Amino acid sequence: MSLAAEAFVSQIAAAEPWPENATLYQPLKEDQILLSDSASSLAVQTFLRMCGLPVLVSCRANAEYMSPSGKVPFIQVGNQVVSELGPIVQFTKAKGHSLSDGLDDVQRAEMKAYMELVNNMLLTAELYIQWCDDYTATEISRPRYSSPYSWPLNHILAYQKQWEVRRKMNVIGWSGKSLEQVYEDVSQCCQALSQRLGTQPYFFNKQPTELDALVFGHLFTILTTQLTNDELAEKVKSYTNLLSFCHRIEHTYFKDRGRINAA
Amino acid sequence: MYFNKNLLWVKVLSWRCALGCCCMHTNMAEPMELLCWGGDWDLPSVHSDSLIVLAYAKFSGAKLAVKSIDWTWRTITASVPQLHYEGSTVTEPAQILNFLRKQAEMKLYIQLYLLSATKSKMTPTCQKKIKTRITELEKGSPPCRFNADYELTAKQGADTMAYIALLEEKLRPALLHTFWVDAENYVNLTRPWFTSHSPFPLNFFVPGRQASLALSRILLTKAESPLLNITEVEGKIYSEAKECLNLLSHRLGNFHFFFGDTPTSLDAFVFGHIAPLIKAPLPSGQLQKHLNQLDNLCQFCNTILKNYFTDASAEKRMDCSLTAPHDPVDANLQKLTQLVNKESNLIEKMDDNLRSSPQHRHETKPSARASERNSPLLSKH
Repeated sequence: MSLAAEAFVSQIAAAEPWPENATLYQPLKEDQILLSDSASSLAVQTFLRMCGLPVLVSCRANAEYMSPSGKVPFIQVGNQVVSELGPIVQFTKAKGHSLSDGLDDVQRAEMKAYMELVNNMLLTAELYIQWCDDYTATEISRPRYSSPYSWPLNHILAYQKQWEVRRKMNVIGWSGKSLEQVYEDVSQCCQALSQRLGTQPYFFNKQPTELDALVFGHLFTILTTQLTNDELAEKVKSYTNLLSFCHRIEHTYFKDRGRINAA
Repeated sequence: MYFNKNLLWVKVLSWRCALGCCCMHTNMAEPMELLCWGGDWDLPSVHSDSLIVLAYAKFSGAKLAVKSIDWTWRTITASVPQLHYEGSTVTEPAQILNFLRKQAEMKLYIQLYLLSATKSKMTPTCQKKIKTRITELEKGSPPCRFNADYELTAKQGADTMAYIALLEEKLRPALLHTFWVDAENYVNLTRPWFTSHSPFPLNFFVPGRQASLALSRILLTKAESPLLNITEVEGKIYSEAKECLNLLSHRLGNFHFFFGDTPTSLDAFVFGHIAPLIKAPLPSGQLQKHLNQLDNLCQFCNTILKNYFTDASAEKRMDCSLTAPHDPVDANLQKLTQLVNKESNLIEKMDDNLRSSPQHRHETKPSARASERNSPLLSKH
């Protein structure tokens, strides 16, 4: 969206309160959704729960194509559609709900920097492991991604997505990395997050912010998703304060649904 | 007897280290060679990544033989910046900084060991740990990390990683656009500069190739769907870049550097990214105008250029180091003595580094780790 369109949407957003029937769309949970999409979707759900905003989760096979930016998840609120955590945070802020109002400028800078760190390292590592590692791509990613479609569309779409992701990895310089290097990067990122969190309950001490939602979304999904091997989950498990952070958020915000069912 | 044997081992090691190690105090037999783009507009190099490495080398006192690739065939074959040392090659600013940091860390551990051998305040277990760490570093494993900057706390190391991710994600696309995709800048400034600094016939290919790489990077990472073209992405990347610059400015505040009074790797990264933007004579630079309004960032950049890159200050520092070679050594050893006297802090920190290194983790079972963390430092042999 161009800047003018964004400003226009914000103005309209500010006019109406949050409706009861806001819906979040994501790919099919049991068969189709992949690790990275599941992580992003959980992050958005956590954020909305932290704000106390009700949202219904709806699984659709074509969620990716419905989304205005091509990325999942996206939410439909009234007659507006917003995708990805960043724009959703701005959208909810325009409606008057914000988690990071209490932060001063330096803290806000830190929060944005850490969110970029998670996006840059964890999300890219997840995409790499799903699509650039041949074994995982063949066993898990391609079959799952194309499961709602029949032959030959499933082959075409799966390979198209794989080619797209590999091109992106090439351009940012990750295609030359080996799987061990990627695991090492994930470990570095987790170490940085663990050191920043320390012994506090949330990243900015007492109040959860969108950074907590994002980190929880990614770490919880990594811990509970079954991949071809457990190495990624082991990397995260070695940081005990991150594990207790995930437990705490799960118990605080998701206890009414029992355990979250991960794909 | 024990000490003599170990002293001899360390002396041999430090002799070998001195031959190749980057440090202010030893004479270099074979310096490290860095390939990078040449300089212009008051800068040592016009290329962001090369500037990052050059700045960090100056901060840490590493001696690098800088070789510019201008007017050579390397303009199209080499991925710049590149560090050559003892037959091995390191590329990418992050890897090069890790390498330089590893050399500096090795030197610190050796000096600490030497110190410990002469002063018996350190326990044998700590000495053994230091010796293990030196051997590990020499073998080249485990890899160093950003938060292994030993003068930073753990949290500051984590902040470094986060801010570097912020720079890469928000600022770099806009920089690439300003220099390589914006038509006015590209035709009037970037392309003529790179054409004039490449040999015939490469001058026809080099700028075009860099420009298409820049464009594809922006489109693949920032354009939300294949149908959007560059003009719609422009607004978004520039607004993100301006926000990023504002955030950096807030973080820097009134300080000289991002973490106190001494520059660190984060300062090198920020300098590498914003210096070309400040100094280049861009015909159409909305981002440059925005940056010029942020006084503290401009001040930061000029301070680094003045203190670390002008010839006058370099000569002054070189004179000092030649005439009084022992004073910096003594000062450093004094500093190390103070560190050793605060033994618990430093050894704990080094022990944390050891514990959190991936090689160490592979050797111990995950279930035993919790108890290990709580057990006293000295019980592990």
